Amino acid sequence: MIKIIFNLILIASTIFSQTDSFNFQSPHNIKLFADYLFCEGDYLRAAEEYEKISTISDDTINFKIMISYSEIGLYQQSNLKYKFQPNSLLTNDARRLFIKNLFLDSPDSYYEKTGSELFPFQLDSLSLNYRNKLISISFLFSSVENIPAEEILYPFELQERKIILSFYDQKKDPSYKSPLLAGVFSTIVPGTGKMYVGEWGDGITAFLITSLFAFLAYDNFKAHHNTRAWIFSGLGAFFYGGNIYGSVAAAQIFKARIDFEFNDGLKLYLEQQNYFLPEYDFCK
Amino acid sequence: MQSKLILLFLFLISSSAFSQLDQFKWKEAFISYEKPSEFRDREYSFDSENPFDFIKKSFANAYWFFISDVDGDNCPFRPSCSSFFMQSINETDIFQASMMFFDRFTRDMNFTKALSNYPKVKSGYYYDPPQNYTLNRSKIRYLPSTYVVDE
Repeated sequence: MIKIIFNLILIASTIFSQTDSFNFQSPHNIKLFADYLFCEGDYLRAAEEYEKISTISDDTINFKIMISYSEIGLYQQSNLKYKFQPNSLLTNDARRLFIKNLFLDSPDSYYEKTGSELFPFQLDSLSLNYRNKLISISFLFSSVENIPAEEILYPFELQERKIILSFYDQKKDPSYKSPLLAGVFSTIVPGTGKMYVGEWGDGITAFLITSLFAFLAYDNFKAHHNTRAWIFSGLGAFFYGGNIYGSVAAAQIFKARIDFEFNDGLKLYLEQQNYFLPEYDFCK
Repeated sequence: MQSKLILLFLFLISSSAFSQLDQFKWKEAFISYEKPSEFRDREYSFDSENPFDFIKKSFANAYWFFISDVDGDNCPFRPSCSSFFMQSINETDIFQASMMFFDRFTRDMNFTKALSNYPKVKSGYYYDPPQNYTLNRSKIRYLPSTYVVDE
């Protein structure tokens, strides 16, 4: 019995051992491994593997390298990989990916990148329309104001226009709170500036603390405990001043929050729309 | 008989493989569940010759001695109120830093601050950096409350 088991182990280890005849580094096997990494979303390692076989003239491999670099945020490196002949099946997709990379590299200043020297290809109507869409989005990300709605909306289709228009309206008329008004409110009634920017808990606390110190100061002055009265007056004054200052700061933070949420919402919309690009089915 | 021999052999191997070694003996583990408190390691000395630093350190020492140490490690924010004040002075000036500090102190006393939109650091404290309160818009870095800051 022992002899049989021993023989089986010996035979199995010989049959299933790693042999020299299996070449892991062959282009075919590297591609298989790279495809696996690509479909698993491990774009960094997928790009490394594809790069090993990039000398092979294969548009799909080239396009996958572009996608991989783009997915990990190396947009310029992705665009350096643009090597497509006009008659290739993937040319249109690669062109739009090139434009998307330019946009993602600096979304808030992409609208300035309109020169034809930036593109290693002639912009046809499809890529021109795509570029115009991203220029409109770039305006929404930027700090440029007073752009007419038509200038933003014209590259989009009817369905997309409604959503882009709602972003445009938010950008044009954001629900900021005035720091000046917040400061004035807190000067008149302590805490109301904070309440104005939506910080109700902080506002009520500020009102109670300032009122408490004001009362303590008044009561001690009335009772001729001048030292205590001045200490409470000083503390009350600092809390009063701190609240006015804090209300102005809170209004500024509120503005930063609105801007953050706007940009976050716009980014989410673009991701949901896959940046107006078709979904590639390399992994199906 | 053979199966008994195999079992005996396996038993001998496992007892040798997982035996207690001379270099590493099993012993009682001394685990401390005590929360480390930073305020016990405070540096109260005045080691700077700069008069401005002397004033700054005096304020910080007074705050630690009269408020922080008495209150214990209870500040829910990071940086803590005294660190916030020191950092505020470095960011602005003593007057503006005082305003920032009293505003922070008011927010600290707010019982409903959990409802506010503070992000948290990994240790669970609310993240509230002084840079957001300098009135310089370019320094404000808004983070949503769902964000966890790697302190």
